[in-house]
Amino acid sequence: MSDVLARREQALTPDETAELIAATVGDAAVLGTTVEYGTFTLHVASEHFAEVARACRDERVLAYDFFDCLFGIDAREEGFDVVAILYSTSTGNRVALRTRCPGGREAPTCPSLTEIYRGANWHERECWDMFGIEFPDHPGLEPRIFTIETFEGWPLRKDFPLASRVVKPWPGVKEPAELDEDGNVIERQPQLGDAPGPYELDKAMAEQAKLANPQAAVDPATAEGEEVEDALGTDAEQAPDSGAVLAGDAEQTQEQHEDVKSEAREKAEEKRKAAAEARARKAAERAAEGADDTGVAEAAGGAVEPGEDQFPEEATAEAHPEGDESWGNDSDAPPVGGDSDAEPTGDESDGEERS
Amino acid sequence: MGLVDQYELPKPVKYVFNWGRKYSLWCFNFGLACCAIEFIAASGSRHDFIRLGVIPFAHAPRQADLLVVSGTLTDKMAPALRRLYEEMPEPKYVISFGSCANCGGPYWDSYSVTKGVDQILPVDVYVPGCPPRPEALLDGIVALQTRIQGESLKDRMAQRRREPIVLRNDGPDIAPELQTAEGQ
Repeated sequence: MSDVLARREQALTPDETAELIAATVGDAAVLGTTVEYGTFTLHVASEHFAEVARACRDERVLAYDFFDCLFGIDAREEGFDVVAILYSTSTGNRVALRTRCPGGREAPTCPSLTEIYRGANWHERECWDMFGIEFPDHPGLEPRIFTIETFEGWPLRKDFPLASRVVKPWPGVKEPAELDEDGNVIERQPQLGDAPGPYELDKAMAEQAKLANPQAAVDPATAEGEEVEDALGTDAEQAPDSGAVLAGDAEQTQEQHEDVKSEAREKAEEKRKAAAEARARKAAERAAEGADDTGVAEAAGGAVEPGEDQFPEEATAEAHPEGDESWGNDSDAPPVGGDSDAEPTGDESDGEERS
Repeated sequence: MGLVDQYELPKPVKYVFNWGRKYSLWCFNFGLACCAIEFIAASGSRHDFIRLGVIPFAHAPRQADLLVVSGTLTDKMAPALRRLYEEMPEPKYVISFGSCANCGGPYWDSYSVTKGVDQILPVDVYVPGCPPRPEALLDGIVALQTRIQGESLKDRMAQRRREPIVLRNDGPDIAPELQTAEGQ
């Protein structure tokens, strides 16, 4: 017991861990380290994945003796990542080993950890079941354990079509087409790490949502706004953000009793004018800083919605140093389930993306 | 089943016969998700469906009259449900409890969820809701009992022969007597 407590005080920091691994396995094994959301991630070259895990387990000062979980991540064009989370019961440290599978999207393969941690067996089977990542040294991935044995395809891949949605588009406006504060549909391009669904179908769903929400088209203020935006040349097709609801109010008031009617109409007129002015002002401001802004937005890799604050995108883009670039768009994908550090036992609960 | 599925019973006898059947439904709960909790609540002391004659203590499907499918049925689980249903003796009834069991519910676009148990079983009563309240299950049970009271076993079995519940092509026939009785 006292030995364990002593080792808890001697637990290595992330940098020391990375150095030790590099010294033990070789410099080529460690591609980088990140610490995000309290989780230390060690980016590992795929050919050294198993060796690094073995070193993590066998080095006395590391002593990662508990295999927590293993899951895949769809990195879109770059292929697939595999993340294994290890925990040390003596030092209390947790590390996420992350590797990019060679083989791209066609034939992703990853070294198996089953030899090192017996518990990795079913995690790898599940990973193969959901993502189609092969683990060549694994004692037997088949039969599939989550889906029926004759299932075709890899359901957690982003390009996996959901047959039901092909036949029938999403029937509501709730997801992924969200509404802004004025009730218009925000069309957004899903980014890596977003998981609103297979993204070819998202477009169809956004169209459907627009049809379900036709009031945006009737308002003159809206029309102006769109002209301004066209002039700006922004290609984000943004539903107009301020006019539609007011227009709806105006129409409603016209249907009311005669005596209230004119008054209400005046009010609505005023409102609409104010809204139109506000829009014009906004558009002008945007036009002033337009060029830089769109440039920044594109650099950050995001379809920035004109009506919205652009801070989140930029902030995440800045938060990641240049060294991260080899890891793709990490900016919007917290690589290893962010809250996994908070509770050792809570790991299983978060998310379908891991399996 | 003997004579009752061969010959129409005299009306008074049938009334008493069905009255007896409808108040002793030994129930087999196929609990798959949160709806199962509502089922349990319905069997508890507050809602208490035992006062309606539904007895949730069937030891196995072979001793059950009523199958309540409560929860999300996945394609992986479907063969097991199908098999347990086939083990039940005739006459057997099925209540589909909750949106998932009715049609897939919120998982209508999932890659793994069966879009309703009626794809693999004949369902007598659908109870809507996500999850339905226990009162809804009581209502479904009463609906089923009304149906049992009014039905003729001969007609029911004749319908089963016309539309045999054996959907599986491979494997052994699970109810050959139902199929061979055609034309008698």
